[in-house]
Amino acid sequence: MSNFDRWMMVPALIIPAAASAPAFAVQYMTVEQAQKVMFPAADAFEAKIVSLTDEQKNAIETASGVRVRSNEIRAWRASQGGKAAGWFMLDEVYGKHEFITYAVAIGTDGAVKDVEILEYRETHGSEVTNAKWRAQFVGKKAGDTLKLDEDIRNISGATLSCKHLTDGVKRLLATYAAVLK
Amino acid sequence: MNALTASRPTHALAECVRARPLLGTLVEIAASGEHVDAVQLAISDAFDEVERVHQLMSYQSADSDISRINRDGFEQAVTVASDTWLVLEAAGRFSAASEGLFDITVAPTLTKLGFLPRHAGFPRISGQGNWQHVVLLPDRRVQLARRLRIDVSGIAKGYAVDRAVAALQRAGMHSGRVNAGGDLRIFGDSAQIIHVRHPAVPTQLLPIVELMQGAVATSAGYYAQRRYQGRLVTPLIHPHTRIAADVQRSVSIFAEDCMTADALTKVVHADPVRAVAMLAQFDARAVMLEPDAATGGCRVFDTSHLQPAIWRTRVIS
Repeated sequence: MSNFDRWMMVPALIIPAAASAPAFAVQYMTVEQAQKVMFPAADAFEAKIVSLTDEQKNAIETASGVRVRSNEIRAWRASQGGKAAGWFMLDEVYGKHEFITYAVAIGTDGAVKDVEILEYRETHGSEVTNAKWRAQFVGKKAGDTLKLDEDIRNISGATLSCKHLTDGVKRLLATYAAVLK
Repeated sequence: MNALTASRPTHALAECVRARPLLGTLVEIAASGEHVDAVQLAISDAFDEVERVHQLMSYQSADSDISRINRDGFEQAVTVASDTWLVLEAAGRFSAASEGLFDITVAPTLTKLGFLPRHAGFPRISGQGNWQHVVLLPDRRVQLARRLRIDVSGIAKGYAVDRAVAALQRAGMHSGRVNAGGDLRIFGDSAQIIHVRHPAVPTQLLPIVELMQGAVATSAGYYAQRRYQGRLVTPLIHPHTRIAADVQRSVSIFAEDCMTADALTKVVHADPVRAVAMLAQFDARAVMLEPDAATGGCRVFDTSHLQPAIWRTRVIS
């Protein structure tokens, strides 16, 4: 107890100078990879680009309760041996700090089979590369040095809310019902 | 281990990484193995494990084990799945070891603050009782000895990560990592840098340690905080006072498994001084960050890997 009190009074102060490292971004899959993962048995994906009419747009907004920001719908009809396997829909959502490209697989029953993230990007992120900051944590559990030239892969700490994504999936389901079904 | 290393092929391993929205966050799973198809299959299996845990233990979903306990558990014992049972048992252990600093019965406070939904038709709570009144009976039956409501999301996320890692290992993956919004576990033979977010500037990423094997869980108020009666509050509730923790403190726990790390973050948030005595018992290390308003920097408190653990730090000029 006394130790904690002591350190509370004399804390080490670390001023992390943000370097000009790029924002945190991960490319998980290409469209083709996602199609293969979400419809492993399908042998054909037929692209269907739809431009929503105002009427369709209103219908989707009413059904999902989510605003439609783009009129372009990017969808692929998956099939296996000529038989319909479902729809693969590509979409993106963005929040204050993040930008997410994702795909939704809709089965022949009209239900969501899977949601996969293709790309996740934080728009203002940066890695702190201050040498003193690095020295603070060197060699305590595993390796001896922090090699900061690698990509950032492991962030322990809350990710951004999934709300935009949940809304996006709702919007796509309504879009499927309005124009693809 | 040596046999495994010797038999390792010389060609490059296939590495895949995917992410799905699960557990109310983005869950990222990466693995490397011999063939890309096998790796993708292993990752799909690992996601299925996370989804299964989510369905069993979600507070939000009305037909989860947890909701069945909350609805019927006071009137009669409720039989739960073995995973739910394991998590409730573990929760009891963490509560006992921390003298109640970890407590799954703070759910009503979370509902009041708006972090958890209200369920229509669930019985009224008495406002009395704590973790000791969640009674585990033989044959995986659970009974509430008070009119309580439980929420295991402070531990089930870590458990889901552990299950996903087990699925990757069962599938013969050489290395892998599972990250469920900060509850993270890795395995394999190369060290990976773990970053945490600056508690006051969460888009800034701070590298804090290299980890080869094991888990780390971080909890903090950023991105989770909300306004309640004009005040910013976090979903980190002190079980004794039922007061929400400070918005601007981040706690990271390093441990062998992610469920332990997840649970201990709550204990350290509730009472860093008392928590530190518990860390050695679970072979865990804690790193706590607090923003310093004057400089824009961080105060760092670290228990390091000392036995017995104490809070310490190195002074940097």
